[in-house]
Amino acid sequence: MKEITAYPQCRIVPMRLLGPDTTKRFLNKIVKVPGIRRILLNGQNIPLTVPYGPARGTKNTTNLRKSITIAGNMVDLHVQVGTITLEIEDKSTTDHIRKICDAFFVDFSYYIQEGKFMKTQPSLVDYAKYGPQADRSVIGLVDPKRKEKPSLITLSNERVCGGYEL
Amino acid sequence: MMVRKPQFGPGTSVVAINRRKQMDPGHQLTKMRNITDEDIVLMLGHRAPGASFKTMHPPIAEQQEPDCPMRKLVKPTEGAKHGDRVRYVQFADSMYNAPCQPYQRTYAEMYRFRAIDPGTLSGRQIVECRERDLEQYCRLLIETEMFDPALVSLRGATVHGHSLRLSENGMQFDALQRCVLSKDGMVRYVKDQIGLPLNRPVEVGKPLDSAWLKEHSTIFHSLVGTGLREDGEYVEYLQRIHTLRTKYGFMPKEA
Repeated sequence: MKEITAYPQCRIVPMRLLGPDTTKRFLNKIVKVPGIRRILLNGQNIPLTVPYGPARGTKNTTNLRKSITIAGNMVDLHVQVGTITLEIEDKSTTDHIRKICDAFFVDFSYYIQEGKFMKTQPSLVDYAKYGPQADRSVIGLVDPKRKEKPSLITLSNERVCGGYEL
Repeated sequence: MMVRKPQFGPGTSVVAINRRKQMDPGHQLTKMRNITDEDIVLMLGHRAPGASFKTMHPPIAEQQEPDCPMRKLVKPTEGAKHGDRVRYVQFADSMYNAPCQPYQRTYAEMYRFRAIDPGTLSGRQIVECRERDLEQYCRLLIETEMFDPALVSLRGATVHGHSLRLSENGMQFDALQRCVLSKDGMVRYVKDQIGLPLNRPVEVGKPLDSAWLKEHSTIFHSLVGTGLREDGEYVEYLQRIHTLRTKYGFMPKEA
Protein backbone atom coordinates (compact mmCIF):
# COMPACT_ATOMS: atom_id res chain seq x y z
CA MET A 1 0.00 0.00 0.00
CA LYS A 2 1.16 3.50 -0.84
CA GLU A 3 2.41 5.46 2.20
CA ILE A 4 -0.26 7.87 3.33
CA THR A 5 2.22 10.75 3.33
CA ALA A 6 2.92 10.31 -0.37
CA TYR A 7 -0.51 11.45 -1.51
CA PRO A 8 -0.72 15.01 -2.82
CA GLN A 9 -3.18 17.48 -1.35
CA CYS A 10 -4.95 20.54 -2.67
CA ARG A 11 -7.15 23.17 -1.08
CA ILE A 12 -10.09 25.00 -2.61
CA VAL A 13 -10.55 28.49 -1.19
CA PRO A 14 -13.74 30.28 -2.30
CA MET A 15 -13.80 34.04 -1.79
CA ARG A 16 -17.01 33.74 0.21
CA LEU A 17 -18.00 31.45 3.06
CA LEU A 18 -20.33 28.75 1.78
CA GLY A 19 -23.73 28.00 3.27
CA PRO A 20 -24.89 24.41 3.81
CA ASP A 21 -26.93 24.24 0.60
CA THR A 22 -24.08 25.50 -1.58
CA THR A 23 -21.65 23.18 0.19
CA LYS A 24 -23.98 20.29 -0.51
CA ARG A 25 -24.29 21.14 -4.20
CA PHE A 26 -20.54 21.60 -4.53
CA LEU A 27 -19.55 18.46 -2.66
CA ASN A 28 -22.01 16.40 -4.64
CA LYS A 29 -20.07 17.44 -7.72
CA ILE A 30 -16.66 16.95 -6.15
CA VAL A 31 -17.17 13.51 -4.62
CA LYS A 32 -17.82 12.03 -8.03
CA VAL A 33 -14.30 12.82 -9.18
CA PRO A 34 -12.27 9.63 -9.19
CA GLY A 35 -9.05 9.80 -7.22
CA ILE A 36 -10.16 11.74 -4.16
CA ARG A 37 -9.15 9.92 -0.99
CA ARG A 38 -10.20 12.27 1.79
CA ILE A 39 -12.05 15.58 2.07
CA LEU A 40 -11.67 18.01 4.95
CA LEU A 41 -14.06 20.90 5.41
CA ASN A 42 -12.77 23.84 7.42
CA GLY A 43 -14.68 26.90 8.46
CA GLN A 44 -16.15 28.91 11.25
CA ASN A 45 -17.92 26.86 13.90
CA ILE A 46 -21.65 27.35 14.27
CA PRO A 47 -22.37 26.55 17.93
CA LEU A 48 -25.42 24.57 19.05
CA THR A 49 -25.97 26.95 21.95
CA VAL A 50 -24.99 30.56 22.55
CA PRO A 51 -21.43 30.24 23.92
CA TYR A 52 -20.88 33.60 25.61
CA GLY A 53 -22.75 36.44 27.27
CA PRO A 54 -25.98 36.70 29.24
CA ALA A 55 -27.75 34.36 26.78
CA ARG A 56 -25.16 31.62 27.27
CA GLY A 57 -26.69 28.17 26.95
CA THR A 58 -29.69 29.31 24.91
CA LYS A 59 -30.35 27.26 21.79
CA ASN A 60 -28.76 28.83 18.74
CA THR A 61 -31.47 28.81 16.10
CA THR A 62 -29.75 29.12 12.73
CA ASN A 63 -29.99 27.72 9.25
CA LEU A 64 -26.19 27.64 8.90
CA ARG A 65 -25.83 24.38 10.82
CA LYS A 66 -27.50 21.49 9.05
CA SER A 67 -27.21 17.86 8.12
CA ILE A 68 -26.56 17.60 4.41
CA THR A 69 -26.69 14.63 2.08
CA ILE A 70 -23.53 13.97 0.12
CA ALA A 71 -23.83 11.18 -2.43
CA GLY A 72 -26.56 9.54 -0.38
CA ASN A 73 -24.64 9.82 2.91
CA MET A 74 -25.72 12.10 5.74
CA VAL A 75 -23.05 14.51 6.92
CA ASP A 76 -23.51 16.76 9.97
CA LEU A 77 -22.15 20.13 8.97
CA HIS A 78 -20.96 22.09 12.01
CA VAL A 79 -19.25 24.94 10.20
CA GLN A 80 -19.83 27.60 7.61
CA VAL A 81 -17.39 26.25 5.08
CA GLY A 82 -14.38 28.40 4.23
CA THR A 83 -11.91 25.93 2.72
CA ILE A 84 -12.18 22.45 1.26
CA THR A 85 -9.00 20.40 1.52
CA LEU A 86 -8.66 17.30 -0.60
CA GLU A 87 -6.22 14.44 -0.46
CA ILE A 88 -5.93 13.02 -3.94
CA GLU A 89 -4.40 9.97 -5.60
CA ASP A 90 -2.26 12.00 -7.99
CA LYS A 91 -1.84 15.56 -9.13
CA SER A 92 -3.81 15.14 -12.36
CA THR A 93 -6.99 15.00 -10.25
CA THR A 94 -6.50 18.70 -9.48
CA ASP A 95 -7.26 19.56 -13.10
CA HIS A 96 -10.59 17.74 -12.88
CA ILE A 97 -11.39 19.59 -9.67
CA ARG A 98 -10.40 22.91 -11.21
CA LYS A 99 -12.85 22.35 -14.09
CA ILE A 100 -15.67 21.72 -11.64
CA CYS A 101 -14.74 24.81 -9.61
CA ASP A 102 -14.60 26.98 -12.75
CA ALA A 103 -18.14 25.96 -13.61
CA PHE A 104 -19.43 26.16 -10.04
CA PHE A 105 -18.00 29.39 -8.64
CA VAL A 106 -19.51 31.94 -11.01
CA ASP A 107 -20.89 34.52 -8.54
CA PHE A 108 -17.56 34.89 -6.75
CA SER A 109 -14.01 33.75 -7.37
CA TYR A 110 -11.97 30.99 -5.80
CA TYR A 111 -8.44 29.68 -5.91
CA ILE A 112 -6.83 26.28 -5.58
CA GLN A 113 -3.61 25.77 -3.65
CA GLU A 114 -1.40 22.73 -3.89
CA GLY A 115 0.67 21.71 -0.89
CA LYS A 116 0.27 19.99 2.43
CA PHE A 117 -2.72 21.16 4.44
CA MET A 118 -3.78 18.27 6.63
CA LYS A 119 -1.83 16.13 9.03
CA THR A 120 -0.59 12.89 7.52
CA GLN A 121 1.49 11.49 10.37
CA PRO A 122 0.02 10.77 13.83
CA SER A 123 1.09 13.36 16.38
CA LEU A 124 1.75 12.70 20.05
CA VAL A 125 -1.88 13.58 20.85
CA ASP A 126 -3.07 11.17 18.16
CA TYR A 127 -0.87 8.48 19.68
CA ALA A 128 -2.29 9.16 23.14
CA LYS A 129 -5.84 8.99 21.81
CA TYR A 130 -5.71 6.21 19.22
CA GLY A 131 -2.59 4.24 20.22
CA PRO A 132 -0.01 2.72 17.87
CA GLN A 133 -2.62 1.02 15.67
CA ALA A 134 -4.36 4.28 14.70
CA ASP A 135 -6.54 4.29 11.62
CA ARG A 136 -4.41 6.34 9.25
CA SER A 137 -7.42 7.48 7.25
CA VAL A 138 -8.72 9.42 10.28
CA ILE A 139 -5.44 11.18 11.13
CA GLY A 140 -5.64 14.85 10.24
CA LEU A 141 -9.36 14.80 9.55
CA VAL A 142 -10.60 15.28 13.06
CA ASP A 143 -9.34 16.80 16.28
CA PRO A 144 -8.24 13.86 18.47
CA LYS A 145 -10.03 15.40 21.44
CA ARG A 146 -13.34 15.39 19.61
CA LYS A 147 -15.74 12.56 20.32
CA GLU A 148 -17.33 12.53 16.90
CA LYS A 149 -15.69 10.69 14.04
CA PRO A 150 -15.43 12.00 10.49
CA SER A 151 -18.21 11.10 8.05
CA LEU A 152 -17.53 8.25 5.70
CA ILE A 153 -18.82 8.71 2.19
CA THR A 154 -19.03 5.50 0.22
CA LEU A 155 -18.98 5.76 -3.52
CA SER A 156 -19.40 2.14 -4.39
CA ASN A 157 -22.74 2.37 -6.12
CA GLU A 158 -23.28 3.17 -9.78
CA ARG A 159 -25.84 5.84 -9.00
CA VAL A 160 -23.13 8.08 -7.65
CA CYS A 161 -20.11 7.33 -9.76
CA GLY A 162 -21.51 6.13 -13.05
CA GLY A 163 -22.14 8.25 -16.08
CA TYR A 164 -20.41 11.34 -14.82
CA GLU A 165 -18.47 13.29 -17.40
CA LEU A 166 -15.89 15.84 -16.50
CA MET B 1 -7.81 84.78 20.21
CA MET B 2 -7.42 82.51 17.21
CA VAL B 3 -10.22 79.97 16.91
CA ARG B 4 -8.85 76.49 16.64
CA LYS B 5 -10.27 74.53 13.73
CA PRO B 6 -9.86 70.82 14.32
CA GLN B 7 -8.43 68.78 11.48
CA PHE B 8 -9.86 65.48 12.79
CA GLY B 9 -7.38 63.39 10.82
CA PRO B 10 -4.84 63.34 8.02
CA GLY B 11 -5.13 62.05 4.49
CA THR B 12 -6.37 62.92 1.04
CA SER B 13 -8.04 59.64 0.07
CA VAL B 14 -11.77 59.01 0.12
CA VAL B 15 -11.31 56.90 3.26
CA ALA B 16 -9.64 59.80 5.07
CA ILE B 17 -12.37 62.21 3.94
CA ASN B 18 -15.08 59.82 5.16
CA ARG B 19 -13.34 59.46 8.50
CA ARG B 20 -13.25 63.22 8.93
CA LYS B 21 -16.92 63.54 7.99
CA GLN B 22 -17.95 61.01 10.62
CA MET B 23 -15.78 62.64 13.26
CA ASP B 24 -16.85 66.21 12.58
CA PRO B 25 -19.86 66.96 14.81
CA GLY B 26 -20.67 69.89 12.53
CA HIS B 27 -21.17 67.57 9.58
CA GLN B 28 -24.69 66.24 9.16
CA LEU B 29 -24.54 62.53 8.41
CA THR B 30 -26.87 61.31 5.67
CA LYS B 31 -29.91 59.52 6.97
CA MET B 32 -30.26 56.20 5.15
CA ARG B 33 -33.13 54.43 6.93
CA ASN B 34 -35.83 54.82 9.56
CA ILE B 35 -35.83 52.75 12.71
CA THR B 36 -38.56 53.07 15.32
CA ASP B 37 -37.85 53.52 19.02
CA GLU B 38 -39.35 50.12 19.71
CA ASP B 39 -37.06 48.47 17.15
CA ILE B 40 -33.99 49.96 18.82
CA VAL B 41 -35.18 48.77 22.22
CA LEU B 42 -35.76 45.28 20.81
CA MET B 43 -32.33 45.06 19.17
CA LEU B 44 -30.55 46.27 22.29
CA GLY B 45 -32.44 43.84 24.52
CA HIS B 46 -31.89 45.76 27.74
CA ARG B 47 -35.55 46.41 28.55
CA ALA B 48 -38.94 45.36 27.22
CA PRO B 49 -40.52 47.87 24.82
CA GLY B 50 -42.68 50.26 26.79
CA ALA B 51 -41.08 49.34 30.11
CA SER B 52 -39.76 52.17 32.21
CA PHE B 53 -36.05 52.85 32.51
CA LYS B 54 -34.47 51.21 35.51
CA THR B 55 -32.53 53.59 37.68
CA MET B 56 -29.44 53.26 39.78
CA HIS B 57 -29.91 56.48 41.72
CA PRO B 58 -32.75 58.98 42.26
CA PRO B 59 -33.12 61.81 39.74
CA ILE B 60 -30.42 64.44 40.26
CA ALA B 61 -33.05 67.11 41.01
CA GLU B 62 -34.22 65.08 44.00
CA GLN B 63 -30.73 64.46 45.28
CA GLN B 64 -28.77 66.66 47.62
CA GLU B 65 -26.01 67.75 45.28
CA PRO B 66 -22.89 69.20 46.88
CA ASP B 67 -21.95 72.73 46.04
CA CYS B 68 -19.46 71.95 43.31
CA PRO B 69 -18.32 74.35 40.55
CA MET B 70 -17.75 71.44 38.17
CA ARG B 71 -21.34 70.25 38.57
CA LYS B 72 -22.53 73.73 37.74
CA LEU B 73 -20.32 73.80 34.68
CA VAL B 74 -21.18 70.36 33.26
CA LYS B 75 -24.83 69.86 32.54
CA PRO B 76 -25.99 66.24 32.99
CA THR B 77 -27.31 64.28 30.03
CA GLU B 78 -30.94 63.18 30.03
CA GLY B 79 -29.98 59.72 31.24
CA ALA B 80 -27.83 61.05 34.06
CA LYS B 81 -30.54 63.54 35.02
CA HIS B 82 -33.03 60.69 35.49
CA GLY B 83 -30.50 58.40 37.17
CA ASP B 84 -30.67 55.70 34.46
CA ARG B 85 -28.49 52.65 34.78
CA VAL B 86 -25.53 52.24 32.44
CA ARG B 87 -26.10 49.94 29.45
CA TYR B 88 -24.13 49.17 26.31
CA VAL B 89 -24.24 48.62 22.59
CA GLN B 90 -21.54 46.79 20.68
CA PHE B 91 -20.95 46.82 16.95
CA ALA B 92 -18.91 44.46 14.80
CA ASP B 93 -17.81 45.96 11.48
CA SER B 94 -16.59 43.93 8.54
CA MET B 95 -13.21 44.88 7.11
CA TYR B 96 -14.75 44.46 3.66
CA ASN B 97 -15.57 48.13 3.28
CA ALA B 98 -17.97 48.52 6.18
CA PRO B 99 -18.87 52.22 6.51
CA CYS B 100 -17.50 52.43 10.04
CA GLN B 101 -14.71 50.66 11.91
CA PRO B 102 -14.05 50.13 15.62
CA TYR B 103 -11.37 52.83 16.10
CA GLN B 104 -13.20 55.20 13.83
CA ARG B 105 -16.40 54.54 15.78
CA THR B 106 -14.74 55.57 19.02
CA TYR B 107 -13.27 58.73 17.50
CA ALA B 108 -16.62 59.69 15.97
CA GLU B 109 -18.57 58.97 19.15
CA MET B 110 -16.16 60.92 21.33
CA TYR B 111 -16.62 63.94 19.09
CA ARG B 112 -20.39 63.60 18.71
CA PHE B 113 -21.74 62.18 21.98
CA ARG B 114 -21.49 63.09 25.64
CA ALA B 115 -21.10 60.92 28.73
CA ILE B 116 -19.92 57.78 26.97
CA ASP B 117 -17.36 55.14 27.80
CA PRO B 118 -16.22 53.39 24.65
CA GLY B 119 -14.14 50.23 24.57
CA THR B 120 -12.27 49.67 21.34
CA LEU B 121 -11.01 46.36 20.05
CA SER B 122 -9.70 45.31 16.68
CA GLY B 123 -12.95 43.92 15.32
CA ARG B 124 -15.62 45.30 17.58
CA GLN B 125 -16.39 48.37 19.59
CA ILE B 126 -18.54 48.66 22.67
CA VAL B 127 -19.90 51.89 24.08
CA GLU B 128 -21.44 52.27 27.50
CA CYS B 129 -23.61 55.11 28.71
CA ARG B 130 -26.88 55.87 30.44
CA GLU B 131 -29.71 53.84 28.91
CA ARG B 132 -31.79 56.78 27.76
CA ASP B 133 -28.79 58.35 26.05
CA LEU B 134 -27.77 55.00 24.58
CA GLU B 135 -31.05 54.59 22.72
CA GLN B 136 -30.72 58.07 21.34
CA TYR B 137 -27.11 57.52 20.22
CA CYS B 138 -28.04 54.16 18.69
CA ARG B 139 -30.52 55.90 16.47
CA LEU B 140 -27.74 57.95 14.89
CA LEU B 141 -25.44 54.95 14.65
CA ILE B 142 -28.04 52.79 12.88
CA GLU B 143 -30.05 55.28 10.82
CA THR B 144 -27.18 57.14 9.21
CA GLU B 145 -24.41 56.31 6.77
CA MET B 146 -22.36 54.84 9.63
CA PHE B 147 -24.37 51.63 9.30
CA ASP B 148 -24.80 48.99 6.62
CA PRO B 149 -27.27 46.17 7.29
CA ALA B 150 -24.96 43.53 5.79
CA LEU B 151 -21.51 44.60 6.98
CA VAL B 152 -22.22 46.19 10.36
CA SER B 153 -24.11 44.41 13.09
CA LEU B 154 -25.06 44.75 16.73
CA ARG B 155 -23.34 42.02 18.70
CA GLY B 156 -23.24 42.00 22.45
CA ALA B 157 -21.38 38.69 22.61
CA THR B 158 -20.04 36.13 20.10
CA VAL B 159 -18.83 38.89 17.84
CA HIS B 160 -16.44 37.10 15.48
CA GLY B 161 -16.85 38.26 11.88
CA HIS B 162 -14.83 41.45 11.30
CA SER B 163 -11.86 39.83 9.59
CA LEU B 164 -13.61 36.90 7.95
CA ARG B 165 -14.63 36.49 4.35
CA LEU B 166 -18.26 37.44 3.82
CA SER B 167 -20.96 34.82 3.52
CA GLU B 168 -22.00 33.96 0.00
CA ASN B 169 -25.00 36.31 0.24
CA GLY B 170 -22.70 39.22 1.19
CA MET B 171 -23.51 39.22 4.90
CA GLN B 172 -20.82 39.45 7.56
CA PHE B 173 -20.30 36.08 9.27
CA ASP B 174 -22.25 35.72 12.49
CA ALA B 175 -22.17 32.43 14.37
CA LEU B 176 -25.47 33.32 16.03
CA GLN B 177 -27.10 34.62 12.83
CA ARG B 178 -28.73 37.54 14.59
CA CYS B 179 -29.77 39.10 11.31
CA VAL B 180 -30.86 37.35 8.15
CA LEU B 181 -31.07 38.50 4.56
CA SER B 182 -34.59 37.71 3.42
CA LYS B 183 -35.62 36.83 -0.13
CA ASP B 184 -37.06 40.32 -0.60
CA GLY B 185 -33.55 41.75 -0.07
CA MET B 186 -34.29 43.12 3.41
CA VAL B 187 -32.09 42.45 6.40
CA ARG B 188 -34.06 41.59 9.52
CA TYR B 189 -32.85 41.09 13.05
CA VAL B 190 -34.36 37.91 14.48
CA LYS B 191 -32.31 38.02 17.69
CA ASP B 192 -31.26 40.82 19.98
CA GLN B 193 -27.61 41.77 20.35
CA ILE B 194 -26.83 39.00 22.83
CA GLY B 195 -28.52 36.27 20.77
CA LEU B 196 -31.95 35.89 22.37
CA PRO B 197 -34.73 35.38 19.81
CA LEU B 198 -37.03 38.37 19.26
CA ASN B 199 -40.82 38.10 19.29
CA ARG B 200 -40.94 39.79 15.90
CA PRO B 201 -38.25 40.50 13.31
CA VAL B 202 -36.80 44.00 13.18
CA GLU B 203 -36.20 45.40 9.72
CA VAL B 204 -33.04 47.44 9.16
CA GLY B 205 -33.23 47.93 5.40
CA LYS B 206 -31.45 46.61 2.35
CA PRO B 207 -27.68 46.10 2.15
CA LEU B 208 -25.95 48.94 0.33
CA ASP B 209 -24.27 48.19 -2.97
CA SER B 210 -20.54 47.64 -3.25
CA ALA B 211 -19.88 50.87 -5.19
CA TRP B 212 -21.54 52.96 -2.47
CA LEU B 213 -19.66 51.08 0.23
CA LYS B 214 -16.34 51.65 -1.49
CA GLU B 215 -17.09 55.37 -1.68
CA HIS B 216 -18.20 55.60 1.96
CA SER B 217 -15.85 53.16 3.65
CA THR B 218 -13.60 54.23 6.51
CA ILE B 219 -11.18 51.33 6.30
CA PHE B 220 -8.22 50.97 4.00
CA HIS B 221 -8.30 47.68 2.09
CA SER B 222 -6.00 47.22 -0.88
CA LEU B 223 -8.00 44.36 -2.40
CA VAL B 224 -11.61 45.53 -2.24
CA GLY B 225 -11.26 49.25 -1.54
CA THR B 226 -8.68 51.99 -1.19
CA GLY B 227 -5.16 50.91 -0.26
CA LEU B 228 -3.38 52.76 2.53
CA ARG B 229 -0.35 53.29 0.31
CA GLU B 230 -2.50 55.22 -2.15
CA ASP B 231 -2.72 57.96 0.48
CA GLY B 232 0.77 59.44 0.85
CA GLU B 233 -0.26 61.96 3.49
CA TYR B 234 -1.72 59.25 5.70
CA VAL B 235 1.43 57.12 5.38
CA GLU B 236 3.58 60.13 6.28
CA TYR B 237 1.43 60.80 9.36
CA LEU B 238 1.58 57.17 10.49
CA GLN B 239 5.33 57.04 9.98
CA ARG B 240 5.72 60.18 12.07
CA ILE B 241 3.60 58.75 14.90
CA HIS B 242 5.51 55.48 14.69
CA THR B 243 8.86 57.24 14.83
CA LEU B 244 7.87 59.45 17.75
CA ARG B 245 6.44 56.55 19.70
CA THR B 246 9.53 54.46 19.06
CA LYS B 247 11.83 57.27 20.20
CA TYR B 248 9.57 58.33 23.04
CA GLY B 249 11.86 57.04 25.75
CA PHE B 250 14.65 59.17 24.32
CA MET B 251 12.63 62.40 24.62
CA PRO B 252 12.14 63.06 20.91
CA LYS B 253 12.35 66.55 19.54
CA GLU B 254 10.89 67.21 16.10
CA ALA B 255 13.13 69.04 13.67
